[in-house]
Amino acid sequence: MKTVIPDRLQEFFIGFTDEFEVKVPVLTTEGERVFASPFDGPPALSGGALAAKPTAVFFPQQDGVISIGSEGLLHASSAKPLFVAGFTPRDLLCLRFIDRFFAEGYRDDIYFSRRKGALIAAVSGFSGASGGFVPLSGGACDLEFVFDGAVWIVVPYSEPGKRIAARIPDDAADDALAALLEKSGGCVDEDAAIIQAASKLLLNEMVPDRFWDSVAESCIQCTGCNLVCPTCTCFGVQDWRYPDRVERSRMWDSCQLEGFMREASGHNPLGTEGLRTRRRIHHKLAADRTKWGEISCFLCGRCDAACPTGIGIVAVSRMIVERFS
Amino acid sequence: MARTTSPAEELLYNPCEAEIISVADLTPDEKLFSLRMTDNRPLGHLPGQFVQLSIPGYTEAPISVASSPTRTGFFDLAIRRAGTLTAEMHRKVPGDTVGIRGPFGSSFDLTAFQGKDLLLISGGCGLAPLRSLIQYCQDCRDEFARVAVIYGARNPDALLFKNDLAEWRNSPAFDCSVTVDNVSGGDCFYGSVGLLPALIPPLEVIPKNTIAVVVGPPPMYRAVIEELKKKGMASSRILLSLERQMRCGVGKCGHCTIEHLYCCTDGPVFRLDQVEGVRGAI
Repeated sequence: MKTVIPDRLQEFFIGFTDEFEVKVPVLTTEGERVFASPFDGPPALSGGALAAKPTAVFFPQQDGVISIGSEGLLHASSAKPLFVAGFTPRDLLCLRFIDRFFAEGYRDDIYFSRRKGALIAAVSGFSGASGGFVPLSGGACDLEFVFDGAVWIVVPYSEPGKRIAARIPDDAADDALAALLEKSGGCVDEDAAIIQAASKLLLNEMVPDRFWDSVAESCIQCTGCNLVCPTCTCFGVQDWRYPDRVERSRMWDSCQLEGFMREASGHNPLGTEGLRTRRRIHHKLAADRTKWGEISCFLCGRCDAACPTGIGIVAVSRMIVERFS
Repeated sequence: MARTTSPAEELLYNPCEAEIISVADLTPDEKLFSLRMTDNRPLGHLPGQFVQLSIPGYTEAPISVASSPTRTGFFDLAIRRAGTLTAEMHRKVPGDTVGIRGPFGSSFDLTAFQGKDLLLISGGCGLAPLRSLIQYCQDCRDEFARVAVIYGARNPDALLFKNDLAEWRNSPAFDCSVTVDNVSGGDCFYGSVGLLPALIPPLEVIPKNTIAVVVGPPPMYRAVIEELKKKGMASSRILLSLERQMRCGVGKCGHCTIEHLYCCTDGPVFRLDQVEGVRGAI
């Protein structure tokens, strides 16, 4: 293990920019923490989960699919692998889920063109919002930055992570993590029990349509829930015409929008706001559990924070449990 | 942000070029396109599968393959003009090229069909995917017992594949019945008039030796399935081909989900017992 003082973080990350495309949380002039280059400002590792979906570094809002010129398909150029620091341990669970989603069945080469060879650094310890404690990931990443309130303890897990950490001069004490690990072990998230209970009720079809209609009355179709969710992977496809080529791209889509499933025939399996709201929650808590063996909400908290009308997934799950248990 | 795509890595979303060999009018809104892959490789499909038809500037759309893999050197796509891509396709002429990805999706289990009586039931555009299977039955007739083709459309003008229907009706290989919902004065039509499910009760069905395949618009499924159940058909012997909006064809875009199922990869061909308990499937 190594240690880095906060003031040395920017220099540390810049040291890898020849080898990697480095992404770290940086404070914008508007006061928001976003993934950016360490050249754009000092890393703001502390502050908890980023407001935007962190998995966007691998599955961006808009992404090129193919480019077609007069001579046929044009090929993308090579780029450096990514080194991304700033995933919370819960974000890592989301990343693991979509890694599997994009890998199984047909392997999504667009996603893996960025994901392959990428280094992931988690952030935990006393690095949450207002200095709150974030339990440690325990290793589902290449390395982890654990803030003990004064310095960052850098814990490498993978071989590439160890090579990164080896460039840090200052060793940490052998027992530097002991108290932090003990504190992590004592953390219990009550929301986990809530969504598990809601999932069970959904799988047992205990939630009637009238409930979804009532929740849908609050939905203003802003789509914020989908746009911030690290495990939302739905996309639409658009072609952009230029004088010398056509660019086909994919862009995030939202199951809360009326046209999401509307077919060319006009038939719309999600033709009501109630059905669409049900789909948003049911997909995460029931359908994905049936298909993938696990709920695809990892309680990152983004949709509940983003929803202006209070119908994020934990809020709705709480309503389900209160009314139908 | 640039991407690192190795040339050796399989490029899932890259279409392959296909040339249009011929174009024929099926109805005022539907055309039949025969195509071949320009590298002369076979499409490699099985009856029931679909391709993603790609036209630069107009994105992609899922289209069922309407010809049997037993008929080599080409493949057919029957396309209704229903949006910008299909309208552009309708402007294409022989010699033009388009992009093809696939074939994708599940197919009819031809091994399970061997020796069985087949009821091949379709309505409207549903005949397009079923035509692939019907042609396969024509070409491999000895593999199956009785084969009944039952087709319905709104009116005589809306009937797809009129030449094929005439051939199938005159063929000793098939029992072929055609119905339309209504006719108007001046229509020249020799089939029955009425809704398609009404053609099922008179059929002689041996449930344990029969497989029914149903392809059509959503309202048709419920009525046809009800009639098949009255004949004693088990859900495991009734196959459906479901239509959903499939943007990618490979289970990633999320637009064709039916609860936990992805129509593009788990389907489009499903056994009824796979989907009858799944909300929104039929």
